[in-house]
Amino acid sequence: MAKTYVLGIESTAHTFGVGIVSGEGEILANVRRIYKPSHGGIHPREASQFLASKAPEALAEAFKTAGIRPADIAAVAFAQGPGLGPCLRTGATVARSVALTLGKPLYPVNHGVAHIEIGKLLTGCSDPVVLYVAGGNTLITTLAEKRYRILGETLDIAAGNCLDAFGISAGIGPMPSPEEYARRGRELFDMPYRVKGMDVSFSGLLTAAENLLSQGKPLEDVCLSLTETVYSMLTEITERAMAMTGKDSALLVGGLARSMRLREMLETMCVDRGGKLYVVPEEFAGDNGAMIAWLGYLHYRCGRPVDVSESYVKPRMRIDEVEVCWS
Amino acid sequence: MELADVVEGGVIRVGAEAVVKEAYWRGVKLVMKHRLPKRYRSPYIDSRIRRSRTIHEARTIKTLSEKGVPVPLVIFLDLKNYAIYLQRILGQELRLSPNPLVYAARLGRAVGLMHKHDISHGDLTLSNILVDGSWGLWLVDFGLSMFNADLEEKAVDIHLLERSAGNSFPNVVGNFMTSFMEGYGEVVGEEFVHKVVDKVGEIRSRGRYVER
Repeated sequence: MAKTYVLGIESTAHTFGVGIVSGEGEILANVRRIYKPSHGGIHPREASQFLASKAPEALAEAFKTAGIRPADIAAVAFAQGPGLGPCLRTGATVARSVALTLGKPLYPVNHGVAHIEIGKLLTGCSDPVVLYVAGGNTLITTLAEKRYRILGETLDIAAGNCLDAFGISAGIGPMPSPEEYARRGRELFDMPYRVKGMDVSFSGLLTAAENLLSQGKPLEDVCLSLTETVYSMLTEITERAMAMTGKDSALLVGGLARSMRLREMLETMCVDRGGKLYVVPEEFAGDNGAMIAWLGYLHYRCGRPVDVSESYVKPRMRIDEVEVCWS
Repeated sequence: MELADVVEGGVIRVGAEAVVKEAYWRGVKLVMKHRLPKRYRSPYIDSRIRRSRTIHEARTIKTLSEKGVPVPLVIFLDLKNYAIYLQRILGQELRLSPNPLVYAARLGRAVGLMHKHDISHGDLTLSNILVDGSWGLWLVDFGLSMFNADLEEKAVDIHLLERSAGNSFPNVVGNFMTSFMEGYGEVVGEEFVHKVVDKVGEIRSRGRYVER
């Protein structure tokens, strides 16, 4: 029987990603074009213009790498949210054109669920508590009765956003710079540590770190205090979620999964509980098209494609809006 | 030091951050809540967090006792070891009670009094309510409590209670909550009951806690 190939398009923030996967879970192509602002954070309009300008070459490269013809794909998926509106619309427009041109079904999918499902596929873990941490999202979740239930989340900014914003305002750039500076830090300052049940809050921490810096404290020490506090909070809510659900494995996904120190803390916590930590491979930690393609395939298996006229983007979409029909 | 006379007994409960054990002090039955070190955190952050949470919990319980909310009395605070020693309640979790309905109005008054003083519990499930079979009722485990609680935090308490009651005894949860809200209203007043009920509905509709 011929293999089923799905094309996935990611463009929720700074990455235009095109992935092609097979129904067997092989990743045939994972092409990325990343917008890097010359200064400051991501400007949504500029990012979307960058993404649009890179779309044709990224698509062509993906098919070339995969070694298949566009007509060989069975379906087209794109990230419909959450993300920046202009960026989402760019990816959605590309996906709709490809689907219409080829006459293939279209599957709008949730970006966060895609991060989780690619992590499950590539690590082989079955029923974990999932910590999803990135530049725009921070939450702890687990699958129960066909939904990813949000057990806890950030009450303000994302963990990655906190670290990126600090790095940018300190003049060293976003992650991984703050973590690299932290390695040379020696002194820990008192920082706000806001864990409410399984929810966390990082905005006060960012302000505190910026204040310490303006008081002339060494940058390395401030980076150390900031990263240690953020990662401790994330590890604590993961442990609470494992205790509450009685699950003995945790899966770390999202861009911050590349942080060695966060992995180390989670690993220690899991070992101490007699549990196991799974971490999404680095190439698939940040935003990528392969995860959208894989989630597209899972939706394709359930059927129910979405008509182009109904394929809206949802900038504020939550992961628990999605019925996990493939579980 | 009085603590030298404390003898530790068996484990009662193990949570994500603390272990609760039986303890005895000169013939008085106590429980010891001990916040355990976490190896993943730097020792400096770890001790600071455990210390502040231990103090916070003891302070909450002490405040609630003074206001007349039924809680176990704080007997000792051992900050060096991040432990609180409390009066041991000889009862069982409300979750396990054969007749939960008889406690509902009393529970409503207790929670109402706590909320009237702007303290939220933070984890108000039936496992954290103890009853003794002869009308006695206590709220325990204030590890997630808040001073200056706002409407949202109070509503979360009520929401968590209802969900927990629904899980433990689905057949009588409606009557249980009706009776709870009567007791609650006696203390906080009808106007506030309306506000909090609306807020509970809003929290539920946000999807986060929705069971769809």
